[in-house]
Amino acid sequence: MGEVHEFRQGALDPIEPPSEAEPVSRRRFLSLMAASAALAATSACESPPADTIVPYTKKPTDVIPGVADYYASTYQEGLIPYGVLVKAREGRPIHIDGNDEHPRFRGKTSLRAQAEIMSLYSAERLRQPRLGDQPASWKEADARVVDALKQVAARGEAALLLTPAVISPTRRAVIADLQEALPGLKHVAWEPALGLTERAAAEALYGDALVPRHRVDKAKVLVALEADFLGTMGNAVEAMSGFARNRKPAKPTDPMSRLYCVESRLSLTGSNADVRVPMRPSGAAPLAFAVARALHDDHGVTYPFGLSPRVLHPFHLDDVARRYNVDAGTLTSLVRDLAAAEGESLVLCGPALPAEAHVAAALVNAMLGAEGSTLETGVAVDGAPLASPADMAGVARDVAAGVYGAVIFWETNPSYAMPDAEGFNKALGRVPLRVSLALAEDETTRRCDVVLPVNHWLESWNDYDASADLLSLQQPLIRSLYDTRQAEEIVLGWASALTSATEAEKDYRSYLMQRWEREVYPAGTPATFQQFWTAAVHDGVLGRDVRPRPPRNGRVEAVADAARAVAGETAAGMELLLEPDLKMWDGRYANIGWLQELPDPLTKVCWGNYLAVSPSDAKEIGVADGDTVTVAAGSRRVTLPVLVQPGQAPGTVFGALGYGREGGVSGGRGTNLFPLVTDGGRSPFLRSSVSVVRAGGSQPLVRAQTEFSTHGRDIAPVWSLAEYARNAKEPKKDRSLPTLNPNLEWGDHKWGMAIDLSACVGCGACQVACQSENNIPVVGPEEVDRGRIMHWIRTDVYYDGPADNPRVAHSLMLCQQCDDAPCEPVCPVAATVHSEDGLNEQVYNRCIGVRYCAANCPYMVRRFNFFDYTSTLTDPLDLAFNPEVTVRPRGVMEKCTFCVQRIRNGVQIAKDEGRAVRDGEIRPACAMACPAEAIVFGDLKDPDSRVSRLSRSNRGYKVLEDLGTRPAITYTVELRNPPEASGEKGRV
Amino acid sequence: MYRATELPPAPAPARRRTSRGGAPQTFPSSLRVEPLVQGDTSLGKLDDHVRDLSEAKPPRSWYVALVITSLAGLVGLASVGFMIYEGIGTMGNNVPVVWGFLIINFVFWVGIGHAGTLISVILYLFRQKWRNAISRTAEAVTVFAFVCAMMFPAVHVGRPWLPHWLFPYPNERGLWVNFRSPLIWDVFAVVTYFSVSVMFWYLGLIPDFASLRSRVKSRVKRAVFGFMSLGWVGNARQWLHYEKAYLLLAGLTTTLALSVHSIVSMDFASSMVPGWHMTIFPPYFVVGAAFSGFAGVVLVFAFIRTAMRLENYITERHMDLLNKTVLFLSCVMAYAYLMEGFTAWFSSNTFDRYIFANYVFGDQWWAGSLTIFFNCILPQLLWVPRFRRSVPIMVLVSAGVTLGMWLERYTIIVLSLHRDYLPATWGTYLPTPIDFAILLGSVGIFLTLLLLFLRKMPIIATWEVKSDIAHHQAHPSGGLEAEHA
Repeated sequence: MGEVHEFRQGALDPIEPPSEAEPVSRRRFLSLMAASAALAATSACESPPADTIVPYTKKPTDVIPGVADYYASTYQEGLIPYGVLVKAREGRPIHIDGNDEHPRFRGKTSLRAQAEIMSLYSAERLRQPRLGDQPASWKEADARVVDALKQVAARGEAALLLTPAVISPTRRAVIADLQEALPGLKHVAWEPALGLTERAAAEALYGDALVPRHRVDKAKVLVALEADFLGTMGNAVEAMSGFARNRKPAKPTDPMSRLYCVESRLSLTGSNADVRVPMRPSGAAPLAFAVARALHDDHGVTYPFGLSPRVLHPFHLDDVARRYNVDAGTLTSLVRDLAAAEGESLVLCGPALPAEAHVAAALVNAMLGAEGSTLETGVAVDGAPLASPADMAGVARDVAAGVYGAVIFWETNPSYAMPDAEGFNKALGRVPLRVSLALAEDETTRRCDVVLPVNHWLESWNDYDASADLLSLQQPLIRSLYDTRQAEEIVLGWASALTSATEAEKDYRSYLMQRWEREVYPAGTPATFQQFWTAAVHDGVLGRDVRPRPPRNGRVEAVADAARAVAGETAAGMELLLEPDLKMWDGRYANIGWLQELPDPLTKVCWGNYLAVSPSDAKEIGVADGDTVTVAAGSRRVTLPVLVQPGQAPGTVFGALGYGREGGVSGGRGTNLFPLVTDGGRSPFLRSSVSVVRAGGSQPLVRAQTEFSTHGRDIAPVWSLAEYARNAKEPKKDRSLPTLNPNLEWGDHKWGMAIDLSACVGCGACQVACQSENNIPVVGPEEVDRGRIMHWIRTDVYYDGPADNPRVAHSLMLCQQCDDAPCEPVCPVAATVHSEDGLNEQVYNRCIGVRYCAANCPYMVRRFNFFDYTSTLTDPLDLAFNPEVTVRPRGVMEKCTFCVQRIRNGVQIAKDEGRAVRDGEIRPACAMACPAEAIVFGDLKDPDSRVSRLSRSNRGYKVLEDLGTRPAITYTVELRNPPEASGEKGRV
Repeated sequence: MYRATELPPAPAPARRRTSRGGAPQTFPSSLRVEPLVQGDTSLGKLDDHVRDLSEAKPPRSWYVALVITSLAGLVGLASVGFMIYEGIGTMGNNVPVVWGFLIINFVFWVGIGHAGTLISVILYLFRQKWRNAISRTAEAVTVFAFVCAMMFPAVHVGRPWLPHWLFPYPNERGLWVNFRSPLIWDVFAVVTYFSVSVMFWYLGLIPDFASLRSRVKSRVKRAVFGFMSLGWVGNARQWLHYEKAYLLLAGLTTTLALSVHSIVSMDFASSMVPGWHMTIFPPYFVVGAAFSGFAGVVLVFAFIRTAMRLENYITERHMDLLNKTVLFLSCVMAYAYLMEGFTAWFSSNTFDRYIFANYVFGDQWWAGSLTIFFNCILPQLLWVPRFRRSVPIMVLVSAGVTLGMWLERYTIIVLSLHRDYLPATWGTYLPTPIDFAILLGSVGIFLTLLLLFLRKMPIIATWEVKSDIAHHQAHPSGGLEAEHA
C-alpha cells in the first residue's frame, strides 16, 4: 500500500496572488471562499486571511453548504438607493431581490438592480491597476497619482473630480477630505440621464431643491405629463407597487384609481393609462396652466401663493386642445376628475419637460392640496448637487482651456455619456493627469493614463441618505474578486498621502463606522454602538426620527415667469424626446447581457435602440421598421434605425439613451443618442424643429415579438370598470371540456398561480428575476433574431384599435402547468411528466430534443437549447449560476418550473419543522420580484389560500381555456377605469 | 397462372374464330389493348438484356451522374456531421417553428417511398399485370427513399447521439418509452414498413439473382449472385412455395402501406396545432404519399426507359397508365385540400380558419399556392392522351408534383407552426444553407443508390415480365387484356 496523503499535494501551499493577466479562476475563487467562509457578513474588507487553506475540519457555524444566506444591502442608481436583499450561496452572491424591511421598497427592486449580479461577475471588469498600457501595482499607481496631485497643488492648479450623484454622507465626507488635502479640487457630480428641470422649477418656485416622494398609492386621480413614472422616471419600483394597490378591485364597486397620461411617446405608463392622450411634449406646460385655470374657473379651486387670475388668462383648455390636436372633452373630464379628487390627486411631470411645465404642474398640485398627501416633502432632503448639461459644457470648456492639472473620474463615463463627448474627449488629451476609478473598461478609461479598478458594490461598504428619515447601508457580500479596492479607500489613501497624515483612517469600513458612531449612533441608546451597528447592517436600513418640514410656500413670480415664457408658444416642427432607457439607463448597464436581451416592454426590441416614429410620420418620411434615418437637431446629427410606433404622437419622435457603447458585451449595438442632448435650451432632453430624413440604409431591429395584434382572439381581454360590473353579474361559464384522461389525484399540494393583469404593468422585472434564478442563458442578438430567445416568462404585449392611439394589453406568459398538458402525451421518451403536486415537470437528462412538446404547446412557452448556450458562460460568469438549478446542456427542452427548487425547499423546511406549508411562504422568483405583486403563487388544494381565492375571482379566466388544457394559472382581466361621461373617448 | 422456364409453343393467331364459324370477327378498336411488351423480344433476350445491364461497362454518363450524386450525398452527410457537431441551431428551426426541413424531408421521402409498395403490392393483388415491368425499380425507389427518410428523425433530435432511447428495450435505467406519443408509433410504423419492404423486394429478387448467377461471366459476380439467390433452382416445388410467400407478404405489405403514412400523419393529427389537428389527415397523407410516389416513379422511368433501352418492356402504355394514376391521385388530392379547407371553415374555429387562410393568403402565400398549383392544377394536363405519352410533359408534371408535395409538407409543418394560438409567439422560419445542403444530400444519397441499383442489380422482374412476353407472343398485335387474366 502506498503512502496515504491526508491532503492532495500542494493543498497546504500558500495561495499565489492571481497572476497579472489571468482572471480569477473558479478554483481560486472557491478556495478564497472556503478560507474566509464567514467573511461575507462583516469582514470582507479586512486583509486576506491566513494564506494556508485546508478543508473544513470544524465547520463554521453559520455556513451550511447548500443553504443560502441572505444579506441586506443597498444599491445606488442615480438619486435612488435601492434597498436590496442579496442571496448568497457558499459566499457567492447569486440573486438580488428587494429588502423586505425597507419601508420604501418593501421587498421589491428594479430590474436593473436585479441584473447587477451580472456586473459583479462581468468578464469586462478591470482586474488590476493600469498605468498607460501597462499593468501596475497599487503602490506604483498610487505613487503616480499622489506625485502628480502634489505637483498640481504646488503649481496652484485646479483639479477636477467627476463623480455620479453623491447621496452617501460618508462618501461626501471622503470627498471633503480630499478637497481639504487638495484645495484646488473641484467636485462635479454628473448624472447624464437625470433631468434637472424639476429641480430648477423647485428652486424658482420654492427656493429649495427638495426631492419629494410621490405617493402614487394615495392618489385617486393621476395625471402623467410625459411622465413615465412606472418605467424610467424616479422611483418606479415604489410607484408601481403603489399604483397597483389601487388597480385590483375584487368587485366592481371597489375603488380604483384613474390615470390620465398625456405624452408623445407610448411609455409603459401610457400603455397602462385609463385615458391616454397623445400630445406633443411642448404642449405639456400650456396644458398644465390651462388645467389650473379650468380648475379655478370651472370648479372654484382657489389659486395658491396669492396668484392673480390674470396670470393664467392666456391659457384655455379649448385653445390647448385645438392647438395640439387633442380631444377637448377628454381634457374637460381630466379637470373634472382632478377637482373631484382634491387632496387625492397627483400631477406628475416628466424629467424631460422644461422647468416651466414643472412649475405649472406644481401649481396644479398646490391647488389640489397634493403637497403633504400625494406629494410628500416632509422628510425630503435637498437634492444632491448635480451638474446640468450646461454645467458640463462649462467643465468641458475649462478642460479645453487647460484649467485643470488633473482630472479624476470616479465611476463615471463622460467620454460616452455627455452632450458633446467628442469635444470633451479631444480636450481631455491635454490634461496632464487623467485618472479613472472604474469597475470595467469603458470609453473614459481608454482615454486615461491611470486606470484604477474599484470594488463592485457587492464588494463594498457604504451608506446612503436619500430621505431624511432613512439611512441605508451597503455591505459587501463577497471579498474583492480581483485586485481591486473600494473607490473611497483609494481616495482616502490619496488624501492622507497628500497631507502626510500617516495615522489617518484608510480602511473605509472603519471610517464609515467611526462616522456612524460619531454622527448616527443616537446618544443615550441602551445598545452599545457595536450592537446598534450590527442591527443596522443586518437590516440594511435605519429609520430615523426627524421633524417633518413645514409645507412650502411658492413664489408667485416664478409662476408668472413660467406662464409668460410659454404663453405664446406654438408647436415647432418635429419634436424629439430623449429618455434614459428602461434597461440601459444612461448606458452603464450596456455590458449586462440579461438587460441587453430583455425585450423592451412595448416594442420588444432587444440589443439596440431606435427612433420611434408615429405611423403617419413614417409614411410621410417614407420609412418602415428598420430603415435608417438621420436625425438632425441643431448642428448635431445621428443616424439610427426607425421603429414605427403605434401611439407615438404625430410630429414627435422618441429615442432612448444608453446604447451604442463601445466594445464589451453590447458590441457597439444600438446608437448613442447623447450627441443629441443639448446643453442649451429649456430642457436638455427635448429638442424642437429636428429634421428626420431617410438615410437610405437599413439596420434590422432584433425583436422578441413581431406580431402585436390579437387578431380578434380572446386571449388578453381588457375591460372597463363598467364592463366589469356588467360581466360580474353573469354567472361564470364552465368552459372545461370533457377529458379522456383519468382525473389526476393530487398529493398533498396542487400548486397554482394567479396573475392579476390589472396590476401587472408589463415592466419585465419578473423576466430578469427568472433569468437570474433559473440560469437562463443569454443567446445574443443573432439568436434572438432567429427566434431562439430563452426567457421562461414573457411579457406579451398587444396593440388593438387605431394605430395613432392603440389600446395596449399586457399579458404575462409562462408555462401554464396544465393539468391536461398537451406537451406530456407527445413526448416519446416521457421526458415531460406530471408531478403529484400538479407540476408539469421537464426531465432534462431524459430529453432527447424531438421538440414535439414545444410544437404542441399552445402557449409556446417551451424553450430549446439549439446550441450549447451555456458553454460561453465561462469564468467568471459561471459564478452567477444558481447551484440549485440544473444548467441545461445543448439539445434539450426547458421551460418554467414554477421555481420547483424553491417549492421543494419550502416543503422540506415545513416538513423539518413539523408543520404545514404556510400560504405565501413559497414564492417563485417572478412573484418575489414583481413590484406590482401581480403574481400570486400557492396551493390550490387549500381553499383559503390567496391563490385559491384569486382563482375564483369573478374576473378570472384561463388563457385558451377552450382547448381543454386546464392550466394551473388563472389570470384576472386587465381593468381600465375611463371616465363614464365621455365614454372611452380618450382611448377609443 | 401460366409460368414456364421454357418457351411456349408458337404464338396463337391474333384473331379468333367464333364458335359459329364463318367470317373472322375483329374486336372493336376501343376494346383493343396495347400489348405490355413490344418489339423483338423473347424470354432469352430479356434475360440477356437484364444481365447486360448489370455486367456491361456502364456508359460515361452513368459515371458522371454517379460522381455528381455521390458528391451531393457527401455534402449532405458532411452537413449532417457539422450539424451534429455544432448543434441543431445550425439549421433554421426556432420557437415557434420547432420542426423544419428535416421533418419535411422525412415526410417527403416516406411519401416517395410509397410508390414501390403500391405498385408492387396493391396492383399485384388487383392483378394489374402492367405493374410487372416496373415493380422492381419501384420497389427499389421505396427502399432507397426509406433509407433517406429514416436518417431524418434520427438526426433531427437535439441530442442525436441518443436516438436509441426511442426504442423500448430493457435497460439498467429502468426507463421506458411513452407509448402515448405518436412519435413512438412512428418509430414502429417506419421501421416495420422499411423491413417488410426490404423483405418483399428481396423476395422478388431471388429468381432474378438465380437467373443472373447462371448468366454472368464474372466469377466473382457469379459467386455473389449465387449467394444472394439463396439456392434457387426454379423447380416447381420452389415456385409453389414462392408464389404463396409472395402473395402472403403482398397482403401484409398492403396493410403497412396504408398504415405507415397514416401513422406519420398522426404526428400531426393527434397534436393540437391548428392546421394539424384534422381527422382527414390519415387518408389524406396516404393519398399524398401515393401521389408523390407515383410521380417519383414516372420521373425515374421517363429517364431510364430510353437511357437503358427498356422501351420493349416498359412501353408507352406503361407510362400512360402511370400518368393516369397520377391524374387520378391529383384529383383526390384536390378533393382532400377542398375538404380540409371546408372543415376549417365549417368548424368556425378562429384558429383553424386563420391558419388555412394563411396557407394561401399569408406572408408565405407562395407555399400554399404553389402546392395547389403543382398538385392539383398542373397534373390536369394529363387529361390529354398525347401528354400522357410525352416525355417532356410527364417530366414537367411529375417534377412539379414532387416539388409540390415537398411544398405541401412545408406548408403543413412550417406555416401551421409559425402562427398558432397566441399572436405574440408568431415567428418566421428561415432555412439555412445547412438545411438546403441536407435536403440536397438526401437527394444525392437517393440517386446514388438508385444509380448503383440500375447498373448492378436486375432492374426488371424478369420472371414476371416473362409471362407478359408469353402473352405477347401469343397475341403479337394485342388483344383483350382479360383474355388470359
